[in-house]
Amino acid sequence: MATNNEIEGFGRVSRTIGTVFRYLLLAATLVGLVFVTILLVYVAKDAVQPLTADPAWHLTFFLTLVVPTLAAGAYAYRESVEALRTGVFSVGFVVVALMFSGGAAMIFVDIVEPLTWLAFLLALAVPTAVTAAVVSYDHRVPFAAQFLATVAAFYLSLFGIPGPLGSLAGVPTLVPSLFDFVAGLPLAPAPWLMMAGTLGPPVAYVGSQYVAGDRDRRAHVLTGAAVLALVLAGGALGPFAGVDPVPGVVVAAIGLAPPLVYTAGTAANRPTERTGLVVPATIVVGSLVGAAATDALGFAGPQSWVDWAFLTGSHSSTAAEAGFYPAIGGSILLMLTVAVLAFPVGIGAAVYLEEYAPDNRFTRIIDVNISNLAGVPSVVYGLLGLGLFVTYLNQPPGTVLLGGATLGLLILPIVIISAREAVRAVPEDMRAASYGMGATKWQTVKNVVLPRSFSGILTGTILALGRAIGETAPLIMIGAPNVKYSLPAGLSEAASAMPLQVYAWSSLYASDGFYEQAVPAGVVVLVAILLAMNSIAIVLRNKYQSTE
Amino acid sequence: MSGDSLADDLTRRTQNAPPELLSRTFFFVCAALSIATTIGLILLLTTEAAKFFTFSAPLVGVEGETATVVEFLTGTEWQPTGGEFGVLALVTATLMVMIGSSLIALPLGVGTAIYLSEYASPRVRSLLKPGLEILAGIPTVVYGFFAIIYITPMLRPFIPGLGTFNMLSACIVVGIMIIPMVASISEDAMSAVPESLRQAGYGMGATKFEVSTDIVVPSALSGIFSSFILALSRAIGETMAVTIAAGSTAQFLNPLNPATYTERALPMTAAMIKLIGGDVTGGGLAYRSVFAIGITLFVITLAMNVISDYVAQRYQEEY
Repeated sequence: MATNNEIEGFGRVSRTIGTVFRYLLLAATLVGLVFVTILLVYVAKDAVQPLTADPAWHLTFFLTLVVPTLAAGAYAYRESVEALRTGVFSVGFVVVALMFSGGAAMIFVDIVEPLTWLAFLLALAVPTAVTAAVVSYDHRVPFAAQFLATVAAFYLSLFGIPGPLGSLAGVPTLVPSLFDFVAGLPLAPAPWLMMAGTLGPPVAYVGSQYVAGDRDRRAHVLTGAAVLALVLAGGALGPFAGVDPVPGVVVAAIGLAPPLVYTAGTAANRPTERTGLVVPATIVVGSLVGAAATDALGFAGPQSWVDWAFLTGSHSSTAAEAGFYPAIGGSILLMLTVAVLAFPVGIGAAVYLEEYAPDNRFTRIIDVNISNLAGVPSVVYGLLGLGLFVTYLNQPPGTVLLGGATLGLLILPIVIISAREAVRAVPEDMRAASYGMGATKWQTVKNVVLPRSFSGILTGTILALGRAIGETAPLIMIGAPNVKYSLPAGLSEAASAMPLQVYAWSSLYASDGFYEQAVPAGVVVLVAILLAMNSIAIVLRNKYQSTE
Repeated sequence: MSGDSLADDLTRRTQNAPPELLSRTFFFVCAALSIATTIGLILLLTTEAAKFFTFSAPLVGVEGETATVVEFLTGTEWQPTGGEFGVLALVTATLMVMIGSSLIALPLGVGTAIYLSEYASPRVRSLLKPGLEILAGIPTVVYGFFAIIYITPMLRPFIPGLGTFNMLSACIVVGIMIIPMVASISEDAMSAVPESLRQAGYGMGATKFEVSTDIVVPSALSGIFSSFILALSRAIGETMAVTIAAGSTAQFLNPLNPATYTERALPMTAAMIKLIGGDVTGGGLAYRSVFAIGITLFVITLAMNVISDYVAQRYQEEY
């Protein structure tokens, strides 16, 4: 700080250094971002090959899609910024929902039979209903009895009598479980009807709540019926559009219904943002018109490597025929396993540390330990998985369960840290109010803390999953196969994963063909899925930050 | 941690009711699992690495080939199939990744942090922060691929004779990867500098530049240093990018000589991937050497995390 010699130049300050400094800082901030953006554009160009398309194809789409979309955006912006935001959000919503419905369709086509799914849902739903009935029947039923009834109901429903406990002692099955009973039914409805029956009602219920809100009963029934009809139509009309009924139902329920519900809700409930819906409408109509026009006029599109054959094919030793399907499916299964294993534990630990932990030495040790675990390199977690599960517990290497457990341990510290932040953000007044009403600690956690911090926890956990989906080193260490030609049939089978496949292509099959075709295509799919996950997390965070 | 005596008083009467006990036990077990993970990790690494060294192998009942600690820590040749286990060849490569990436990440990261905390308007911040998060979220395999496919060819006009695999492009991508880490932790430290210090600076007639460089940065120095150490520990543990970009030939190079960065080398993490991902089967000395490298890596990164915590707390300015 200039202090002593300021007399002679008093009041005159050179702004040059400050301005230069400011722009240097801005440049430093942008270097990494711009550099990676350029690399992503390069890789997208290599994967999609836009220059192989007919110039007339580009021109057609420019006229039917780009110009109208920009015009629609400008129109929405002139109405209000919120309208434009709603428009852009609904476009993103459609893209993300369609991506996730594709993943879900993959699971129901290749991994889980619809009948098994139905049996599993019923086997969970019935004991849940029994529990609810026991709890609401009489509040004076002792807790131990409630707990036993719940455990017994779930055990009977999932395992039957005597179940795994009995089979250890060699007793044959006396009463089959509800799960086995339903899964073994000789007569079952068509698979797509079962899917529609399980996916349709929940989506219809949420949709009618969202759209009809506090309107009368008739509006609720109408919207619910419309959503249900859409889901059924996915299965019934799918075959005419070349889609099998089961994926048709799944895509209609998860990919199409939520964006349509959002659109309808915006149109019905938020008149100021209604204009924003011009944007998605223009994009949908524009792409259809563009596709029809290029088709009719015979303009060739780009020779993209990210095409249907790539997304649904499996690995091949020639780059042009290599596909990504087993890797995508493997990653989806791994992520589901990670979510089931890591999230309850991570959230539980966060709640313990924030709500229960006494301020003593042991708590401080856990605290330091978690932050140190977050800094352990992922390859060392791979060693843990290899040594603990494969060598000592004799698990077969590279299975979904093993990979999920290893990645789950890897992201556990991240989940705990972000969940703690969300739990800490719940205002102390709300807890005090709950205690003041006579609530116990568990009731406060269950009714106040967890619901209030839910979206924060969700954001952190989605970001943690994003970390897990890109991890490769631990999977290599536990012996996941580099090449897999089909989806794993269950959790105890070996699975590939997207980053692993990309690594295999760029190291084991290193050749110009793979470098220019298969790897860029794989990278584009992986990064697109990651960006979708990150954008969900960011939207969620913006939403809960603005409501608080 | 709720040292909240009011809540404790209000819930004392019910704290031993069965639902309370059950839920509290569940939450406690979840938290204790992290301790179990650490203990499991340390036990596993030490017992497996013990099988590798001559002095400790008899203690864990392993016979057959072993390597001496001296040979492991001072040897400069790494040829697991030829029985050469000099970890220095790997450590120097890791050191190169650390030095090279920090030359990129530390200045850019601190610059980003100052910009975000002092200069950027809330609107610009709300755009840049998610951008940086995405930078940190891109899988490291993808960065490794970028290094060999785009960055090495880009560098070739300037450095003739640059091979496909080289340390330079590996260092560049690792550097870019750790910018967000330096930036976010440093920015947290800078945002924690009280507004009154800045106001005092302006009151003395300081410009924004002077306030940033002479008040905010020195006050946040402990946080900035701890971000450096954490980022370096991340660079050391970085695996896939260096495995793909740096090649798979172990060489003993001088990390302080810039010319060696055009060579290929094998950092510790890449060596582990190469051994396990290759055709080394369980049980051999080469297989056990993975755990020896693993424990070396674990100890180094753990030490750096502890130092970073210590720096952040010991030298933190109290306001």
